[in-house]
This record gives sequence, structure tokens and C-alpha cells, in this order.
Amino acid sequence: MPTEVFSVMVGGKAGEGVKKAAQVIAHLAMACGKHVFQEDDYQSLIKGGHNFSIVSIGDRPLWNSYKQHDLIISFDDRSIRTHGLELNPAGMHFCNADDCASADDSMIRLPMTSLARDSYGPNGNVSLAAVVIFSKVCGLDPDLLERTIHKEFSRDATGAITYLKKLDFVLNQLDLSPLRSWHQASEPESKLFSGNQLIALGAWAAGLDLYFSYPMTPASSILHYLALKRDSHKVYSIHAESELAAANMAIGACFAGKRCAVGSSGGGFALMQEAFSLAGMVEAPLLCFLSSRPGPATGVSTYTAQEDLFFALNQGHGEFPRIVASPDSFERAFTLAAELMDLAWEIQTPAILLTEKHLSECAANVHLDGHYLPDAPDSLNPKKEDYKRYAITESGVSPLKFPGCANSTDADVIKWNSHEHLESGVRTDAAEQIVAMKNKRKLKAQSLSLATKRYQRIASYGEGTTLVFAYGSTALELREAMKYHPFKLIVPIYLEPFPEEELEAYRGKEAIIVEHASQANFAEFLRIKLGIKAKANILRYDGRSWDSIELAKLIREAEHA
Amino acid sequence: MRNLNTGKENTWCVGCGNFGILAAIKKSITALNEDNIPLADIVITCGIGCHGKIFDYLNLSGIYGLHGRAIATAQGIKLANPKLKVISFGGDGDSLGEGLEHTLFAAKRNIDLTLILHNNGNYGLTTGQASPLSYMGYKGLSTPMGNVETPFNPITLLIEAGATFVARGYSARIDHLSTLIQKAVQHKGFSFIEVLQPCVSYNNNYDLYNDRCSLLENTPQDDEQARHLAKATEQIYLGVFKQELKPEYCESIKLQDNPQSRTERMAQILR
Repeated sequence: MPTEVFSVMVGGKAGEGVKKAAQVIAHLAMACGKHVFQEDDYQSLIKGGHNFSIVSIGDRPLWNSYKQHDLIISFDDRSIRTHGLELNPAGMHFCNADDCASADDSMIRLPMTSLARDSYGPNGNVSLAAVVIFSKVCGLDPDLLERTIHKEFSRDATGAITYLKKLDFVLNQLDLSPLRSWHQASEPESKLFSGNQLIALGAWAAGLDLYFSYPMTPASSILHYLALKRDSHKVYSIHAESELAAANMAIGACFAGKRCAVGSSGGGFALMQEAFSLAGMVEAPLLCFLSSRPGPATGVSTYTAQEDLFFALNQGHGEFPRIVASPDSFERAFTLAAELMDLAWEIQTPAILLTEKHLSECAANVHLDGHYLPDAPDSLNPKKEDYKRYAITESGVSPLKFPGCANSTDADVIKWNSHEHLESGVRTDAAEQIVAMKNKRKLKAQSLSLATKRYQRIASYGEGTTLVFAYGSTALELREAMKYHPFKLIVPIYLEPFPEEELEAYRGKEAIIVEHASQANFAEFLRIKLGIKAKANILRYDGRSWDSIELAKLIREAEHA
Repeated sequence: MRNLNTGKENTWCVGCGNFGILAAIKKSITALNEDNIPLADIVITCGIGCHGKIFDYLNLSGIYGLHGRAIATAQGIKLANPKLKVISFGGDGDSLGEGLEHTLFAAKRNIDLTLILHNNGNYGLTTGQASPLSYMGYKGLSTPMGNVETPFNPITLLIEAGATFVARGYSARIDHLSTLIQKAVQHKGFSFIEVLQPCVSYNNNYDLYNDRCSLLENTPQDDEQARHLAKATEQIYLGVFKQELKPEYCESIKLQDNPQSRTERMAQILR
């Protein structure tokens, strides 16, 4: 069995501050030197419905959230009905005495809503109640709680402190024995980040100045996060009129020499296809973040999926080199965003960071270490005279100049062209020129393949006779599952160019393939690329993440299938 | 100054209105350059259609973009380097059909760039189908029984969308058009010029324009008068319909350069 995990679940209506409570609980646990993994389950609505957040807490790193809990806090009756059976033995379920028709005697009732109204006024929010209960149950220092409340509930700190006092009074009367007694540790080295925040920061570290996007869950929080950072990070988030606008704007920004990115989910990417193809043709270093949710079409807005693998690999019409890579951890979300930015600019071709809601919107304590952010490769030094945008070179990569910038002069004409073109960038229909440019782009594909070798292209975790393949955030679920059953997990980080050399040892092997798709796309991909034979396909396509304990069991069963 | 010709063979029809626009833009660029705007700071974008070929005939930097998207591309360029003077060329199918949203939003933002709309009233390069500006009854390959849709009025549309410089020129009045282009480029904010451009193959309206075009005496005093004059058909007015100063987009979002090195950015993240 793994080291101890203490899991907290907060459930309630949208608008009750479920996610906020979970974030503060995660921060408090981190302040006590713990590792955390936070997952938010919410629906496409603003008020009402049912939202819940899980914060799983451990002494060692956690790679997934747990689905059975030691502490459940239900803000409403629906949460009791939905999660009542998810309590571990010896766990505690606190419910809101103001809305708990289904509560049984084992649950602890607190008048959360009425106390909130007494404290804040008629629109009082119950969010803080979960934080106070957690703090009590885990034996946290009251000072730490009060300091945290001042910081995290600053909009109405006076109301919040009043609420705390009232909750404290009622809780003290219950005479509960805390389940844990955690103490504040020294300042933690790690910070709580969501995958999307890390993607945004990784790209920013690698020079991102402009981000063009149209909101679409689960990519929207990149737009929101960067928009907040405008003044502190001098990064500009442009909410464009559509994904088509965003992608075409980004190509314009690349032309003028600024590192930028676009982001969306599958539907928005479908709209960006033509611009993606344009990036291939004009040789624009267009960095894209594709965060998947279940499709097709609008699909399931706020849940996770890996249905877009082939969509990402085949994005855009026509033939041109592209990069597709998928982060298998929070840290990798950061480094990969930076790597892909560098690679896109080095080879001047579009790149997709493919991820899923599960990584985009889950959060964990992440220790970012500047050392693992690789340096940018030297940029090409353009010839001084007779500049040709599409000059044919040995690598296929042509020198880049930017209009009105230090690296160009009044004599330079810098033409990017969506038509097939001459080296000068002027349009052509001539047969031999078409072939010359197609060959140039083929050369770039080879250069790209070489360039990616500079980076870690696959990851491998665990030991065991059973071989398991997965990509993206499914690797997180599997690393947690590994704590319950041993196996060897192989994760291609780069999907295009495909890291064939690193994976050669597995060619033709039998493996269990785990993915969030109904049609085993990744298994098909591995069959094509490596001749991997699927001993078993473990597929999940209900939009939900796996319970890692359950996943470990499925792998054990698959071994004996 | 650099020669503005590229040497690329010109494939517009003989008599095409685009020749007048090309002559006017060259004149404008020369004048702007004499006015101390370096050629390195002038960038063009265009969409797809007969208008777009101007990209290959002008020895200027820029992006020959996607159909309808050139004005979005132009905005990206401007945001990346606000110092640049960005001129975007669009056809009526391009800027008011496929890419209408980008045209309206560029105007709404009042981003400092210039859109030159080549209004030939049809889709010339795809052999004369009806465009968003084709008159009622226009017969083309896609509307053999006659166009039943009411055309947009580009001037009133762009005024409503928020453009702060709105003008109309005529491809056969090169000097006048050239002056309009210079004013538009120098205007701080989104500037729009509708250029009446006869299409000799599918919509030859030289006679109509030569008969009816006349210059506005003054810039209209308000939007209402501007709209009234823009809609006139007995007289087709040329000139500046609207010019005003409003906050410009790049300035409104407080756009600044970020000179931080990678190490400095990393240090800021770790702080």
C-alpha cells in the first residue's frame, strides 16, 4: 500500500464557491508540507447544478485525485445524495443543516447557510465553511487559518472572520476529535498550479508576448490567466472575435517577430484548420494549445477526453511539417510549452501542445526549477543583403527577418505568401518551383526530427513485466495506479515527429494500452508506428478521470485476460 | 527609394480598375516615404481574389493571407509592432463576405491600420458570382436568375461599426485616391476606404461612375449626414465621410515591449 492519502471532497451548487474552498484547502495542506492534487468537476452552468472538488493530500507526490474520501463537506442535499457513499471508514461527512433532507445520523450537521447569512448578509456564501471544517478536522493551527482567510477571502475579510467565529463556536460545541494534527511546515518550495497555468507560464518563459484566443473550455483558463498577468508580465491576451481571427492574428504577430500562441479545444481547433495550414505554407512558428474534451461537435464541455489525437496529427490541409507533443505531468506542461515555442521558431513551422481537461484544469503542488528550462537554440543569422524569405538552404529552414526591426533594413522585402511561392515570396504556379518549395518543406521535416532529439521525447515510469502505453494526462492516472500494482509505463511525449529511436526496443511487443477514447485511437497509432500488439485496451470515455485504485485493478485483470 | 515594382507579370484584365488602385498606392507610398516613413515600416496584407494580386505587384513586405482573413492578420502585425504602418487590401467578397467579422471588429477596436476595399461588385477571380456588394438583380454564375439580396453599403456599415476614418475613392481618379490613402495611413485609428473599382469582365460600370461620381465638398458634420450622402445614388460621392479621433486599441490595452530575457522571466516565475 502507498503512503497515507487524506482525501477531501467539497460538493455543492455552482456559485457556492466549491472550487475556491478546494483551492484554499490545497494551500493550507501545502503550508503543512503536504503534497496535493486538486480536481474540479463542474458543469456548463453558472448557478445551481452540482459541482464538486477533490483535494487529495499526501506525504509523497500524488499524481491523481482519489475518489473515496476521509472528509466530505456537502453544501447541499444533492451533494449528500451524490457522494454519501464515497466516505472512507473513520471518515467524516459534514453537511449543511439548512439543506440536508437526505442526511443520515452518521453525518455532522452545521447550519452553514444561516451562519453565512448572519455573517455576510443575505447573499452570504458558504465557501469558507469547508475551509474551516477542514482546518478543524486536520488539527491546523488557528493562526494559520486566520492568516489564510485574510489573504484568500479578502473581498469581505470582516464578514469572513465573523463567519469563522460563528462556525468555530458551533464546531467547538460538537466536541469532535480531529482526524489529523498537521502543523505548519517551513515555507514550501512548490506552488499550486493548474496545468493551464503551467502551459501559459512555460510559453511566457520562452518569450510569449501575445496570446490570441476565443474562449472554449477547457482551454479558456489560459486566456484568463494571461489576461490577469498583463501588467505584471507584459503579456497581452487578445480575446479575438473568433478562433479564425485568433489564428490569423497570431500568424501576423509571428511575421512581425513576436512570440505568440493560440489555444482552444477541439471545436475551436476545427475553425483554426485553415490558418494552421497557412502557418505550414508561410512557415509561421504558430504555437497552439489544444485542450481536449469529449466530442464530436460541442460534445461534453467540461469533461476530459483523448479523442483528438489523429485530429491534432492531421490538423490543416496539405502537406507540411508540424510538431505534436503532449505533456504527461504538470512539470512537463511547463517545459514542453517552452520547448515547443523554441522548436516552432527554430524550424518555422506550427506546433501543437495536445492536452486534456484533466491536466489543463487539475492542480497540484509543483516545484518549478529554472534549471530544466532549456536554453533557446541560436536563432538564424540572416544574410545581410538580397534577402529572400524562402531562400533554399541545406536544412530547409530559411532566415527570418522582421519588418521595421533591428534585424532588417529599408532594402529588405519580407514577403510571406499563402500561395505556393518563389524564394522571394512572390506567388508562383510554375511546376519546378512548386517542387522546389515542397522539397524545401520536406527538408524542414528532417531538420525538425533532428531538432526534437535535443529534448526528452519519451518518459518511462515504474518497473514490472507488464508493459503499459499511454500518453498525456492518462500517464498521471497510471503513475498513481502504479502505487497499487507494479507495471512498466511507457509514454511518448512527442507524437510527431515520432520518437522511433527511443521506442525501437518495444517494436512488435505486446502491451496494455490505456486511453480516454472509445475507438482506441492511441492503440491504432502505436500499431501503425511500432507494430505494438494490444494485449488489452483499457478505454474510458465517460469524460471522467480514473480512480487510480480502480485502474490498477483493471490492469491486473488485463494481465490475466 | 526602392523600386516598388516586383517584375511579376501582371494578370489583371486589360482595363481592370485594379490598375488605378495599384497606381494610386504606389503614389501614396512614395509620398509617405518622402514624408519620412521608411519603407521598412510599411507592411501590407491582402486576402484572396483579384485584389490580392496587388501583393505580388508591390515590392513591399507583408503577408498574402487567407481569403477573408487579411484584416485579422493585419491586426496581429500591428499588435506585434505598433510602429508599423499596416495597409490591408480586401475585395468585397473577401472583406465583407468571408471575413466580414474581422472587418467589423477591426473597426470596433479602432486599431490603427488601413483597409482598402476593392469594390468591384462581384467575385471576379472566380468568374463573376454575386458578392455582398452586388446590386439587386445582378446576374452571375451563382445567381443566373438575378441577385435577390440587398447589397451592403460599405460606408454606412463601417461608420456604424466604429471606424474613425471612412472614405470613398474611385480607381479612375488616381490622384484623389492617392490623397485619400495618405490621409488614411496617417490617421491614428482604424481607417477605411471603399474604392469603386469597375470590373471590365463581369461588372463594367465605368460609364455609371464617370457620369455620377462627384467629390464631397466637405467632410459631413455628423454621422447622419455622412450616411445620407453615402447612400445617394443619383450622385455617387467621393471623399472623406467621417474622420474623428478616438482611443486607439494598442494604446488602450497599454501595449508595451517586454525586453525581459529568459533568465529574467524564469526568475520572475520562481519569485
